[in-house]
Amino acid sequence: MLKLENIEHYYDHVYALKKVSIELNEGETVALIGANGAGKSSILRIITGLNKPKSGTVTFQGKAINKMSPSQIVQAGIVMVPEGRRVFPYMSVRDNLLMGAFSRSSKTEIKNSLDQVLERFPILQERYNQSAGTLSGGEQQMMVIGRALMAKPKLLLLDEPSLGIAPKLVAEIARAIIQINKEEKVSVLLVEQNSRMALRISHRAYAMTTGSVAISGKSADLLEDDRIRAAYLGGEV
Amino acid sequence: MEQILVNGAYLGAQYALIALGLTLIFALMNVMNFAHGQMYVLGGFVTYTIYGQLGMPYALALFVTAITLAVVGAVVEKFLFRPVIKRSQRDESTMLLAAGLGFFLDAVILLVFGEKQRGVPKLINGVFNWDFRVIMPYDRILIFALAVACIIGFMLFMQYSKTGRALRALAQDRDAAQLMGVDVDRYGMTGFALGAMLAGIVGGLLVTITGVNLGMGGPTSTKAFMMVMIGGAGVIPGAIFGGLILGFMESILLSTLASYGDITYLVIFVSLMIFLAIRPNGLMGKPWG
Repeated sequence: MLKLENIEHYYDHVYALKKVSIELNEGETVALIGANGAGKSSILRIITGLNKPKSGTVTFQGKAINKMSPSQIVQAGIVMVPEGRRVFPYMSVRDNLLMGAFSRSSKTEIKNSLDQVLERFPILQERYNQSAGTLSGGEQQMMVIGRALMAKPKLLLLDEPSLGIAPKLVAEIARAIIQINKEEKVSVLLVEQNSRMALRISHRAYAMTTGSVAISGKSADLLEDDRIRAAYLGGEV
Repeated sequence: MEQILVNGAYLGAQYALIALGLTLIFALMNVMNFAHGQMYVLGGFVTYTIYGQLGMPYALALFVTAITLAVVGAVVEKFLFRPVIKRSQRDESTMLLAAGLGFFLDAVILLVFGEKQRGVPKLINGVFNWDFRVIMPYDRILIFALAVACIIGFMLFMQYSKTGRALRALAQDRDAAQLMGVDVDRYGMTGFALGAMLAGIVGGLLVTITGVNLGMGGPTSTKAFMMVMIGGAGVIPGAIFGGLILGFMESILLSTLASYGDITYLVIFVSLMIFLAIRPNGLMGKPWG
């Protein structure tokens, strides 16, 4: 479904990505794990069109998308939940969610999606008319996932959804990601520093170090891999 | 006293409408449009030509003014500001561009409309007189009502329309808005057009009361800039408050300081300096509300 081939990217002559190739099949949840600066977020910014790769190609459902603008890529069905949540802080929860449906036009379909999102995250119903900036971190994270679902994506990109969230809510968000993947048949590309959580909820994973893919494979296998344990799971257990 | 307050509200409503346009452009593009006053003057001259010269209905003149200025705003954004923003890393470039655009528009206005003060026939005659406590010509009341209607219309548009929502989203978080599928170029242009249109509408409204002349552009830009600084740059309610505050200050100080000579704006500038030293972000200094 999504294929990155030999992507290279650098900022001010410093390599951020060196010949990165990643593939994601329809219906899969794929995790990208790795430390800060490993290039995970750069990959997402390239897929969404916010950054353009210096070389290499990105194809989505057989079409090259690396020359398309961010809004065209959203139209194609790729929607990202950015790192740090990036809510529209002075807009209500309602308006934030409606912004998610910006690329769609059918009012009844948008209304249906809105009902679905509010059903999935009942807390958003309670906060419906509140400014998004007044929500807690966990609530904001649910809202931005809901906002992304409002676009009816085929592929959902999640950038560090557990960052700065209370542990109890991390489990809830993880559950929501699994459900979205299974029930709504949305493919998911998950970028996480919380490698354990990412490997538990994904089918396959790529482990990155300084701009390139070091190890890849089935997530269940990687959880048992000694190299992964030492480098990404903090060595314990 | 009632008279002073009524004058203040009247002035404040016009000012708020000017400030709204400026703050919208700032919030969306991070551009301080120093040519805003010139756009206002241009709007005044367009209305003058269509209503005053050609004798067409005022409503039509105001409509054409709005469209003309929206087109000017869109063109200026697409061919001047957008390329400069794309290629320059520094905010100063767009400031200089805006200032240059102001001079350019001044020159265009001088060439096309001349340097004379122009006025138009009164919209309606008669004066409202409440026991000699408040005296207000009917046309001023009409213009005040139109300005308030425009402010309310603009706010409803920003709050409830899809375009308004996209503009607010763009102002609050550019990247996130793009990720929702908002086309930055298209909506940047829309916002600029809308901001210029508001300036033009005020010009079209005020030409019926005070007339219009070439020299009004620069001072109006400065005033608009002040209102935005008072309220907090990029914030809708801030612009409205800023406009009202400046309107009331002008009306109150003009009458109370009359015996000391023409020092109203001296006092206003000094108080603005002190105010900004205490609250550099203005009353509501946060990005977009």
